[in-house]
Amino acid sequence: MGTVLLVEDDPELRATLRAALEVEGWRVLAAASLADAAALWTHAQGRGTPVALVLLDQGLPDGEGATLLQRLRREHGTPVLVISARDGAAQKIALLDAGADDYLVKPFSVGELLARMRVALRHRGQALQPAITRYRRGALQVDLTAHRVQLHGAEVHLTPTEFKLLARLVRSAGQVVTHRTLLADVWGAEYTEHTHYLRLYMGQLRAKLEADPADPQLLLTEPGVGYRLAEPDEGQPGAAS
Amino acid sequence: MLWLRAQRRQARRGMRLARRADALRQMGDTLRDAEDPQACAAHLQAALADLCEGGTPGTATLMLLKDTLPKANDDAAATWLGPLDADSQAGLWLCLREGQAFGPGTGRHEQQGAWYLPVRARRVSLGAARLALDELPTDAQQAADLRAHAQALCDQMGLALERATATRQATQAREAAHAQQLRNTLLAAISHDYRTPLATILGAASALQEQDDRLSIEQRHRLAASIVSEADQLSRLTDNALQLARLDAPGLELRLDWQSAEEIVGAVLRRFRTTGSRDPQQRLRARVEPGLPLLRCDAVLLVQMLDNLVDNALHHGGSEGPIEVLVRHINEHVLIAVRDRGPGVPPAERGRIFEVYQRGEASSGRGAGVGLAVCRAIARAHGAELQYRPRGHGGASFECRWPVPAQPAAAPGG
Repeated sequence: MGTVLLVEDDPELRATLRAALEVEGWRVLAAASLADAAALWTHAQGRGTPVALVLLDQGLPDGEGATLLQRLRREHGTPVLVISARDGAAQKIALLDAGADDYLVKPFSVGELLARMRVALRHRGQALQPAITRYRRGALQVDLTAHRVQLHGAEVHLTPTEFKLLARLVRSAGQVVTHRTLLADVWGAEYTEHTHYLRLYMGQLRAKLEADPADPQLLLTEPGVGYRLAEPDEGQPGAAS
Repeated sequence: MLWLRAQRRQARRGMRLARRADALRQMGDTLRDAEDPQACAAHLQAALADLCEGGTPGTATLMLLKDTLPKANDDAAATWLGPLDADSQAGLWLCLREGQAFGPGTGRHEQQGAWYLPVRARRVSLGAARLALDELPTDAQQAADLRAHAQALCDQMGLALERATATRQATQAREAAHAQQLRNTLLAAISHDYRTPLATILGAASALQEQDDRLSIEQRHRLAASIVSEADQLSRLTDNALQLARLDAPGLELRLDWQSAEEIVGAVLRRFRTTGSRDPQQRLRARVEPGLPLLRCDAVLLVQMLDNLVDNALHHGGSEGPIEVLVRHINEHVLIAVRDRGPGVPPAERGRIFEVYQRGEASSGRGAGVGLAVCRAIARAHGAELQYRPRGHGGASFECRWPVPAQPAAAPGG
């Protein structure tokens, strides 16, 4: 499958995650510190088996995982999943804004970890290919190029703002997008504090697209952080064909 | 003639005494109405300066200790009121430390141009006043009366200060004891609540380790599943305990933002759906009125509150019937309720269910101890109140009326 760089200083958790990932077919480079991680990273690059994804713990013995995050994002664009014992919303937002693809708060299940890895890798693939323009999950089909949204095969009319908002989420399907990012991309940089816009327009979208808006299956809320459009159905081409 | 003069003098004296009694009573009233006697310092200063009863007002300077008496004279340890120079400042410190009056007619430091009077409590002095009068009564007896009156005014202040300090200390002691008690209860509740899931986890994991070759695949699955669900329970207990400690700490800052109740409920439902074992019978459902106003709250906390209430309903709300999360707009409030069709809370226990570590006898005793206490703390942090209400045809309803703020301006664009 490829190589995962696992940076986690707790030996028990490191061993458990390594075993779980190896069962899935990953080659795992396990590091207990930032220095270890940097050395393993360079070594892997040199051997021609570059790291496909980084799992990064936050508080490491020689520093904060966030410092490595910045370097990795700046130099390589490799997807980074942060695993953290801190669950504050402010913390999550800061990590996402710093370029983390997603975060997992300890404790988490292997199933959650693999799902987040899958999404991050898919987006990594698209960084090199055309951006996502199509989305399908259950009864919902979105085609951004054709400006078309269908539910159970029937056309759904969205206002221009509703469409822009949905389009932004489609481009990051499966990943959490912070309030700030959504507001900046849909309304403009001067509206990044206007979270109430999001509440209203997300409500309108849910009313149009969800079977039960109070029990959404597509437009998911990450309380205090942002929104996540549910991962698309398997086997979907994603990019325009 | 002499007799007449004596009569007039007697009458003036009577009036003076009446006025002084009046001044004392007013001072007493002012002090009684004030929460902090220091706030009445200006009143005392004015009363002292006005002592001459119609004559030229004198000059009064007042010093009151902020706290206990410092070892060395430290001007920052007292509040000062009125005109001040180095001499009078030193005089006030001296008077305070000696706890005795001095100045003209006192037999002590007679050469001073002013009276120095201690502000006395029962055992110690808590301040001092300097009173310079342009025209002291020439009659020694009248001067002594006047000084006694000034001293009485000062002592009223001293006693009030002492009472306030005692009250403050008692409150502090009570708060400290309360905090200590809460910590102890919390620790007891947590350690008790942790043992059950830990016992299951250790039991299941050690069975997998030690009896591995004798276990069927189904047995292994079951053990693994209980490890997962109990670990999940432990994780939630930890969140609750931490949140309760956080909410109880002073200087708490909420991350208030505009929130949609529909979204919050959706996020809560999803937590129960994705963690498979929490609602295996799929009893949980939402009834959220459309078009609700936005709320001002901390989303993470509101999710945690509803998560706990639903968890509580799943564990204690009987084994059948739906668990309902209901949100409705009623007058100036948004009603958020979690309801079940279980046995409800026995009347005798209703008063205590929101306290840390109080649970019904018939309950399975899992986590509710801290859970409901956190819910109430979260509601209160937002100016809302969480209440229990028994339902008409049986069951429990935990209800919270959330204040609706003035709504923000609509977004531009379509």
